[in-house]
Amino acid sequence: MGFKQFEGADEEFNLEQMEAETEQMLRLRMITKDNATFARTKGGFVSLDLSESIAAEHYDRIRVVRSFPFTDRNKYISIRTIDEKSKEIGMIRDLTTDVDPETRKMLEEQMDIRYFTPIIKKINNIKDEYGHAYFDVETDQGPCKFVIYMNSSSVVNLSDVRLLISDLDGNRFEIPDYTKLSARELKMLDLFL
Amino acid sequence: MSKKNKKREALSGKPKERIPSYVKDLLKSYFEGIDMDDPEKGILICTETDMNGSMEFSKGHIALCRDRLFVLESEPVPGEVHFFKGRETLSSKVQTVKREWTVKEYSLADMKEVKIERTVGGGFLVLVHKNPDDEEADGTAEVIASFSNHRIGQTTRVERLCEKIAAKEEIKEDESEEKEEEFCPICGMMYPDEDRKICPRCMNKKSILFRTLGYLKPYRMQIVLLMLCILVYSGLNIIWPYLNGVVLYEKVLAKNDSFLASFGIPGGKYVLALGILVLTMLGTKILLQLFGILQGVIAAKIVPDLVKTLKTDVFSSMGKLSISFFTSKQTGSLMTRVMSDAEEVTGFFIDGLPYFLVNIFTIVAMSIVMFLLNPILAVAALVFMPIAFLISWKMLPRLWHRYGRRHRATRSLNSKVHDNLQGARVVKAFGQEESEVGRFDKSNEKVRSADMAVLNYDNKFSALYSMAENFASLTVYVIGAFLILKAHSINLGILITFTGYVSQLTGPMDFMSFFFRWYTNCMNSAQRMFEIIDAIPEIQEKPDAIKLDHIDGTVEMKHVTFGYEKHKPVLKDVSLKVKSGEMLGIVGRSGAGKTTIVNLISRLYDPQEGQVLLDGYDVRDLSFETLRGYVAMVSQETYMFMGTVAENIAYARKDATREEIIRAAVLASAHDFICRMPDGYDTMIGSSGRELSGGERQRISIARAILANPKILILDEATAAVDTETEQAIQQSINLLIKGRTTISIAHRLSTLRDANSLIVIDEGKVAEEGTHEELIAKKGVYYKLKELQTKALALKGIE
Repeated sequence: MGFKQFEGADEEFNLEQMEAETEQMLRLRMITKDNATFARTKGGFVSLDLSESIAAEHYDRIRVVRSFPFTDRNKYISIRTIDEKSKEIGMIRDLTTDVDPETRKMLEEQMDIRYFTPIIKKINNIKDEYGHAYFDVETDQGPCKFVIYMNSSSVVNLSDVRLLISDLDGNRFEIPDYTKLSARELKMLDLFL
Repeated sequence: MSKKNKKREALSGKPKERIPSYVKDLLKSYFEGIDMDDPEKGILICTETDMNGSMEFSKGHIALCRDRLFVLESEPVPGEVHFFKGRETLSSKVQTVKREWTVKEYSLADMKEVKIERTVGGGFLVLVHKNPDDEEADGTAEVIASFSNHRIGQTTRVERLCEKIAAKEEIKEDESEEKEEEFCPICGMMYPDEDRKICPRCMNKKSILFRTLGYLKPYRMQIVLLMLCILVYSGLNIIWPYLNGVVLYEKVLAKNDSFLASFGIPGGKYVLALGILVLTMLGTKILLQLFGILQGVIAAKIVPDLVKTLKTDVFSSMGKLSISFFTSKQTGSLMTRVMSDAEEVTGFFIDGLPYFLVNIFTIVAMSIVMFLLNPILAVAALVFMPIAFLISWKMLPRLWHRYGRRHRATRSLNSKVHDNLQGARVVKAFGQEESEVGRFDKSNEKVRSADMAVLNYDNKFSALYSMAENFASLTVYVIGAFLILKAHSINLGILITFTGYVSQLTGPMDFMSFFFRWYTNCMNSAQRMFEIIDAIPEIQEKPDAIKLDHIDGTVEMKHVTFGYEKHKPVLKDVSLKVKSGEMLGIVGRSGAGKTTIVNLISRLYDPQEGQVLLDGYDVRDLSFETLRGYVAMVSQETYMFMGTVAENIAYARKDATREEIIRAAVLASAHDFICRMPDGYDTMIGSSGRELSGGERQRISIARAILANPKILILDEATAAVDTETEQAIQQSINLLIKGRTTISIAHRLSTLRDANSLIVIDEGKVAEEGTHEELIAKKGVYYKLKELQTKALALKGIE
């Protein structure tokens, strides 16, 4: 357990309070449209008000995190505090049913920023040289040229057909289904399959 | 002038601007009468961003002044290429497209802070507003700029400068400057790896080749001999078909008297001539074998020697490198490859290069002989050669690629089996045998399909290649037969000689087709090797380093700021002091930077700002001998080297007597368990030897430190990995160990620190509290809470 929560606390050490906090950490709280209200902030973030049915709390800003970013992007969305400890405030079981469409849009916007990943639509060229591979691709964000290390962690199979490519800086690019690429593109990509 | 030179000239003529001119134009209205280049009044730093507010890739800038911040954003230009690390060049930075810009101005006086928040693939800059009059608006956050990971490094400099401005700290010149050397000076491309300043495009292969050749110098004689052998070998190979064909059929069997006469054989003695020819042929074959063997013997003499020299060179350079070189992930994989690189390089120079020269000789010589014998047949023999060459040039790399895939599949299968054996307990406990078989099958299937791919392609390749070969001999036969039967211009002997040549030509051709790839691979290997041999360690001993014969053992840190990655400080402005012979306890949660402090004191790293002082001397001025001789560490990770227990205890002092070793072991309460082992102090431990428990290893490493007898002792969670009882025993040993020494002890359990003269609490890289145990308790701060937590919350109910 860290120090943060003790900071500035002048009152005597309270064992009960601490145990209560620990208990809180071990609980999975589900957030739905019935017990929470999300709202856009002026600065482009989202704030959260929890109703009294779970805990009357207000958060100026929240962080929206996917539990299964690759395999289930709409389920088990974790709502967390924005400080370094990033404590979980609650979880949305299913974004499609448990919140209203407006909230869903709001949260998806936040996640689009967090999980920003250009989709590779076409491979113009891949050249491998001296331990690096030089990619020249067309993405949904326009043409991109990037470099990856020639090791197994640079190109990861997310499923049998889905690839995630990370460049030198850790920028991510995705190929949703490589079997749909042309024979020429596949040939260039063959090195990483 | 070559293209490269032209490019270099074009680039060198344009020095990189600190602030691009179009940015200056855009900001002109904000800076009337002020020089934007002046860091005091104008722009302090101008960085690039690569995303706009709508999360699209597009160029942007952040310009920071001492009182305000400008964010420039643009709309994406359709079709514009976005360059990432390693692809960006100086010329791709030049502004060519016209774009729509929006400029936003933020006053530093109105903000609490500017900070970066990282996302998965990049980050955004958040501005926290300050508005004391309006409680609602005070502390609200706003996204002001977005960027990918490519630009995050630059933006952290903006973040840091903002922090410094807010704290009214002095800003040094180099903090606002971008490092120039990130780009290759020749072609202007950004280095793919900042730590390895090597431009893959411009890497000088020639110099690597010659440098590697330098390693062959001591073997000059052998190499010349080797070349000679190979030369004779291939010469004899050219002669053989000639004897076998032309001489046998055309001269001897054709009863050519004038030919016999030129060898001093009287006319008519054809049997004698045949006998001599057969003996000559036999001699040729024997010589061929002999030179083949000789060649192998010479090579066998040079290769192991050369491999050894190269490996020693690499390994000794590795030892000199700073610890950071080993911990960085990319170089880590570099290291493991380097040893096999030595073999690759040697193999190329002994097996590859000489054969390359000889094969060229063979091809040229054979072609000349063939043309001299019969130009028509020579053309027929050679016409299919380029085709065979092309087939293997095109297909061999692909075949290798398939072999590589099979290798990877097999390796993954093996590691799956290994994984399963290791986790057998878990598999059985959860009853997952069935599903594990399923997982194995999946991997096994991959090996099968990779194997099939290899075989299929190999068959295809072999079929095509031998077809080309066969076509070549067939053509020679057909044309030869035609020439013999119809044109009567040649006889059987020449035809047989030619078919011999054709079958011998394919070898060298085949070799040539993969030689160039071999060459590139070898040069890469050599380059990796030289990179390590040439690497300049970050931590270096000064040439005039001070050697101290005696130290008191005062340790001091003054305003130290340090981060393993330059932009992410782990320690921020840390100051501490331990007097000679005293003990300092360091407390803090994991990740707070405690171990980093230790790393700096033992100078595994150098601080980016501030000083670490030993007896008042900056550790950077002290010799390694002084530093390592007086500072010893017992850490949580106890590394045992391969060897006996005694050797492990005497690791830092090889000259220690047996009695000293035993004394140290007794003090570390290790003596008893060592004597209980059947082989006593001679017990082999380490990777292949006996497994020791965590507590035993810990005690041996304490004995190691006791024997080293350091003036300054660092205990880094020395007892964290052992059970309570062992901890008590080890604690006793430690209490003996710390007497008369300056001790710095890091611990989670506060009980281990009860003898400390003073304590500091580290939180988020800063010294949060400091003082004696009593002072900190009285303060009722972090330390007090921690102490209460450990005594009350973790205490067993009913015991206390």
